[in-house]
Amino acid sequence: MTEPDKSGSNVDPTSDNTIMEQVRDGQVAKLAILFERHHVMLYNFFLRLTGRRGPGEDLVQEVFVRILKYRATYRSESKFTVWMYQIARNAHADYLRKQKPEVPLGEQFEEPAGAEPPPADRMDAEIDAALLRRALDRLPLRKREILLLSRYENMKYKDIAELLGCSIETIKTSVHRAIRELRKIYLELQGGVS
Amino acid sequence: MNCDKIREDFADFLAGDLDEGMLREVRAHLAGCPACRTEIETLSALWTKLGVLPPEQPGPALREKFYGTLEAYLAGMEGEREKPGLGRSLSRLAARLMPRRPAYQAALALALLAVGLGGGFWLGGQRPSVKNEILALRQEVGDMRQTAALSLLRQPSSSDRLMGVNWAENVRQPGRPTVDALVRTLNEDPSVNVRLAAADALYLFAGQPGVKESLVKSLARQRSPLVQVALIDLLVSVREKRALEALKILAADEKLEPGVRQKAESGVKELSL
Repeated sequence: MTEPDKSGSNVDPTSDNTIMEQVRDGQVAKLAILFERHHVMLYNFFLRLTGRRGPGEDLVQEVFVRILKYRATYRSESKFTVWMYQIARNAHADYLRKQKPEVPLGEQFEEPAGAEPPPADRMDAEIDAALLRRALDRLPLRKREILLLSRYENMKYKDIAELLGCSIETIKTSVHRAIRELRKIYLELQGGVS
Repeated sequence: MNCDKIREDFADFLAGDLDEGMLREVRAHLAGCPACRTEIETLSALWTKLGVLPPEQPGPALREKFYGTLEAYLAGMEGEREKPGLGRSLSRLAARLMPRRPAYQAALALALLAVGLGGGFWLGGQRPSVKNEILALRQEVGDMRQTAALSLLRQPSSSDRLMGVNWAENVRQPGRPTVDALVRTLNEDPSVNVRLAAADALYLFAGQPGVKESLVKSLARQRSPLVQVALIDLLVSVREKRALEALKILAADEKLEPGVRQKAESGVKELSL
């Protein structure tokens, strides 16, 4: 989910940045608004990074706990989503440090939670989506991150560049490479059928 | 524009960030370069597919955990805020009242200790202003839960709407908009499961003004036997006499499923007692 544009003289009272400023300045209960706006995308971000639902949910909780803890350090000039994903990446890095690298990443991913088998007419689409998810899960971490941020959080390349500490050109090249590599893996998973 | 330049602009092309002029140049190049055209077509198709990949929903425990943490943090914040204030007031008071001679100071200290012990038992640790503030903050969090519930009830996915009903029923004292949204869900939601959940949630708020009346009206418009039976059970259990007319109509309707008619008949009997 993206936040409304804050450019111009009028400050949008409903923007993520304004709400985070209020949280920082003591209206802590308003963090619930930011949680409701971002927790699903954040969960999917972690789900695709860790491949597991349990840690995915724990990491979302950890991000919001850290936001509470470090709320005083939020600077108005930085975009809330960039700041939040900085916290998210740190939380994920801490999570990785605690993990034993015994299972190859591509093999530990859980299938999406589907309570019931899909009807026959939806089967093809579901299989295709599952293949795409698996392909995404097999991308190297950095490329996966960039694709997730640009495609699902609708982050601008300049924001991703700020978040990852590199140039916009590097991000653009990485997006191109990542999507090419994703296609290669996706085709392999399909058994070479395009 | 050449092939290298196309590759440089590819990410902007995907994100829709190219201006009209650049887009024209890209199109002109693609018209004469089959290799670039194939690449851009296949990768764009994959980019689109990625965009429509439905996000997974986290379990309900995540929300519960978050709101639990937030409430605990708010309560902790209030506790912290009180401490220095109390300390400052006490030290100011002590400075004003303290006698100059040490002997009197010791006597006063003993007397204050006795008063403190007695007063401690008497007050039982109550600090109404702090409690009121925490209550107000809890209310604020409760309001946000209701906002979340209302937002979920408007979602296209039935699992989201179910979650919205679940959220609404966990609000201790829901406001009118939340109750109205539940009634609307009960009457209009396309999913039987969501309507059933809304009926259960409204049962919890049956004491609120207008809720029982809405349930009676809803009974007449429901077409699903499952929801009809659930509503009959509910209205009978809250002993809503105004449901009698609607129940009699259902009991006499031969087009209805026998199970529903039977239920309506026994409902009429129970409410007529």
